[in-house]
Amino acid sequence: MSDLLGYRRANETWGVRNHVLVMPAQAAASTAAEQLAAAIPGAVAVTHQWDGDRDDRDALLVQRTLAGFCANPNVASVLIVGITDTDRALAENVASRGCETEFVALADHGGTLRAVDAARPIVASLVTNARRLRREPMPISALVLGLECGGSDALSGITANPALGIASDLLVAGGGTSILAEVPELVGAETLLAARAVTPEVGRRVIAVVHQFEQAVRALGVDVRGAQPAPGNIEGGLSTIEEKALGAAKKGGEAPVAGVLEYAQAPPATGLYIMDTPGHDIEQMVAMVAGGCQLVAFTTGRGTPTGSAIAPCLKIATNSTVFERMDGDIDLDAGAILDGRETVQSMGQRIYDTILTVATGTLTSSERRGHREFALPPQLN
Amino acid sequence: MAIVHQHGCGHVGDDVINTERALLGVATNPNVGAVVVVGLGCETIAGERLASRIEQRGQRVRFVGIQAEGGIERTVVRGREAVAGLRQQLDGLRREAQPASSFVFGIDADGPLADAVCGVAAQRGARVVRGSGAPGPGRHVELAGAGAQVIVSLRGRGQGPVGFAVCPVLAVAGDPELYRALCDDFDLDGGAVGAEAIFERAVVTFNGERTASERRDAHDFVLRRLARSM
Repeated sequence: MSDLLGYRRANETWGVRNHVLVMPAQAAASTAAEQLAAAIPGAVAVTHQWDGDRDDRDALLVQRTLAGFCANPNVASVLIVGITDTDRALAENVASRGCETEFVALADHGGTLRAVDAARPIVASLVTNARRLRREPMPISALVLGLECGGSDALSGITANPALGIASDLLVAGGGTSILAEVPELVGAETLLAARAVTPEVGRRVIAVVHQFEQAVRALGVDVRGAQPAPGNIEGGLSTIEEKALGAAKKGGEAPVAGVLEYAQAPPATGLYIMDTPGHDIEQMVAMVAGGCQLVAFTTGRGTPTGSAIAPCLKIATNSTVFERMDGDIDLDAGAILDGRETVQSMGQRIYDTILTVATGTLTSSERRGHREFALPPQLN
Repeated sequence: MAIVHQHGCGHVGDDVINTERALLGVATNPNVGAVVVVGLGCETIAGERLASRIEQRGQRVRFVGIQAEGGIERTVVRGREAVAGLRQQLDGLRREAQPASSFVFGIDADGPLADAVCGVAAQRGARVVRGSGAPGPGRHVELAGAGAQVIVSLRGRGQGPVGFAVCPVLAVAGDPELYRALCDDFDLDGGAVGAEAIFERAVVTFNGERTASERRDAHDFVLRRLARSM
């Protein structure tokens, strides 16, 4: 048993936070969700732009992402706000995952403002119940860490990402789970990752998921530069997607690759997994959190202050200049490796220790600042 | 009021142009007196470039960049100063009499009722814009970019009303049962009123009467895309 303290959920998962979430089932319920969370201290809402078109080609993916996010172990309970009873399907999906779930439909109350009034006591009671829960000793095998880099620069692959890789290896060696994602940022690193796969089949899936992305880009007939690497990556000294990828993949350390996950899919066992997500910081973060990741470690060279409404996001600077410049937005400075204050190894240990402290309740910068960015796979016209 | 959205980074090809055009169109809609663009700094659609394009179209605009300012707190301080300065410039503005031809309304729907509303509008000398994308809230951005000051949204069966960030949305229910269930959030029952009444209400809205979307303070912003994020 580690020194971790977490919230034990009825479905045998463990939370590192204890949020009451208010989730709109579709964009038109976002106003009500926001107003409810604002009215009840201790509740948090996200808003999103899914327009409720069930014929949309991504509708199932969106439903899986929303349900997974609501069912994240950091969420003690959730209120789903729908337009009509049709939206109850999302609440049923979340409840079937063993989560305490309530549902309100605007159409049962004549509209937004009266539904907000009606649902206020429901949210207040969810908050009261959540506050009764206490942290208990939590097994490290229950911790799922999301690995992310955003606003990478030429130092990402030299300082923060290798150090995070060491932290990830420590977690995996201790019996925990890490998720490496952002497939566009693995282009060029796929053979190195496949060579670490636990079975030849997993290795083939690693190669396949990267090649599928490359084929999708080719099918669009576009130049991926400008999106990958982004303008800020290039200003930061990265020349190509392959160079960015070789640095990005270092976040996954050297642990064996246990499997490949679909977008927002929960890891079936412990170990290091690769999830098929875009490199878009917020879409990736939401996909990992929807897959059950309770804590995100996020390296940044340019200074990206993204955070999640329900999962602590630990920010690690690749250089001291950005750490000092982004006043209070970044938690750790891996730039210390460059001037010899730390080694990659000692920085990795520091990141790992901080992950455990954060998991046990210490707030990250992104939480203190109240970040709650949220994104879904965008609907295509 | 703020628009919170998920776009701006990881775009490729025509999706870059489409998304930037959408943001530009919303920022320069005639209902918008001034804009503060909040950028990150490393993203595909650079906030500073977007702000300069907004300015080229004659809009009052300021830019704040999170990475350039050095973090969220400083950005918020600078952004608040920018908002306060712009607000002062707008507070002196008053409504003036306008000819019907300056009234542009967007119609978010296809079908016979939409055609009939367009017909009435044309008779009265108002201009109508109709989107090309799938009907629904994703079209609001397109209509705002085409200059519409008021959006008439004719919803289908089972579809609830959706507001919009910068234009009052006149929400017309496509099904009487849903209208009754959501009567606070709809403006009109499409089954009970005709094209004339819908147009009359749009004119009243143009003159300042608030729609249901404005009364509940809905700032919905749905932007459909041409490609997935990278």
